[in-house]
Amino acid sequence: MKSIAMNLLGNASDAEDAVQEAFLKVHRGAARFRGGSSLSTWAYRILVNTCYDAMRRGRRRPESPLPDESALPKGGEPNHPLRLAIERALTRLEPRERTAFLLCEVEGLSHREASEILDINENTSRTLLFRAKRGLQRELAAGGAFAPAEPS
Amino acid sequence: MKIFCRDLDKALSGDPALAAAFEGHAASCAACAEQLAQWRRITEAAPSLRRAWDSPDLLPRIRQAIAEESQRQNAEPAPALAASRWRWLPAASIAALFLIATAGLWVFRNGGSRDPLSSHWRTTKDPLLTERAIDDVETAEKAYLASIEKLSLLAEPKLAGASSPILVNYREKLDVLDSAIAELKASIDQNRWNTHLRRELLAVYQEKQRTLQSLMKEVKS
Repeated sequence: MKSIAMNLLGNASDAEDAVQEAFLKVHRGAARFRGGSSLSTWAYRILVNTCYDAMRRGRRRPESPLPDESALPKGGEPNHPLRLAIERALTRLEPRERTAFLLCEVEGLSHREASEILDINENTSRTLLFRAKRGLQRELAAGGAFAPAEPS
Repeated sequence: MKIFCRDLDKALSGDPALAAAFEGHAASCAACAEQLAQWRRITEAAPSLRRAWDSPDLLPRIRQAIAEESQRQNAEPAPALAASRWRWLPAASIAALFLIATAGLWVFRNGGSRDPLSSHWRTTKDPLLTERAIDDVETAEKAYLASIEKLSLLAEPKLAGASSPILVNYREKLDVLDSAIAELKASIDQNRWNTHLRRELLAVYQEKQRTLQSLMKEVKS
């Protein structure tokens, strides 16, 4: 959960605040939960909405090239050029596209789980992920990390 | 199927048949092959964006914030929450996600059940139980627990290897309740006279009983 909040908000401190706020909301909202989704999906949904609220309140978008070096990636080379380029490119995506990419590609959730978290249908989740990856591809090409598209 | 460069977006948007056909096209089209390779590189690099860092203060902060909020809620009448069959969830969520079920997070209100322990708790006003009263409680608790265990034994084969979402949810909930029971018992072992902890333990037992009964109904239907 910290990882998603971090990638949405851009720094560890805001991410931890969002996780704390999300758990308080889980606590407050327990009476309204009817088991329509799994516990974790429900909690993720609250977390994502909490991050959106935080972004709206403070216009927080991870603008810096390195969101927060204190929060290291899990495994792999921390400063791999492609990873850094994707991080930068992610900040330029529309929030829902970015979230779909984070949930499905980074966190490894299924489209069914992502659609429950984002309150959309599975096809919309697939579309958002497609747009996110296409957007990343364009941004990476514009930034020089990828060759520009030249369809024959 | 005849495939063209313009079919790239359709192929990438999740149609498995078209994606396979497009692979064939890319084998003879360098530009499309590059696009597919870039797409895959993004997918391969994505998991490295997962973040992990130590937050030793976060869980205590959350527990304290929830405990403070629970105290505030306890001070106010909240009939809707007390009547909810899902009131176990605040603690359950924390436990499921942090693998910790702490006694302080379980704020249950006794909904007036008909088990032998409830009548005892309703008549107990003194916060410190006498030794004899504790013995009575523990005897009743054992009998109550034995009846729940019988239900558990009946439910166990139904849950073993369950794959349907609803049964998985039941199993997850029962796991969380068992964690909470173990946590509360450990806390009670350190303070046998704490009536609050014993009420919470009773509430968790009752929730487990209701969950098992509901599960058995679900399986039969």
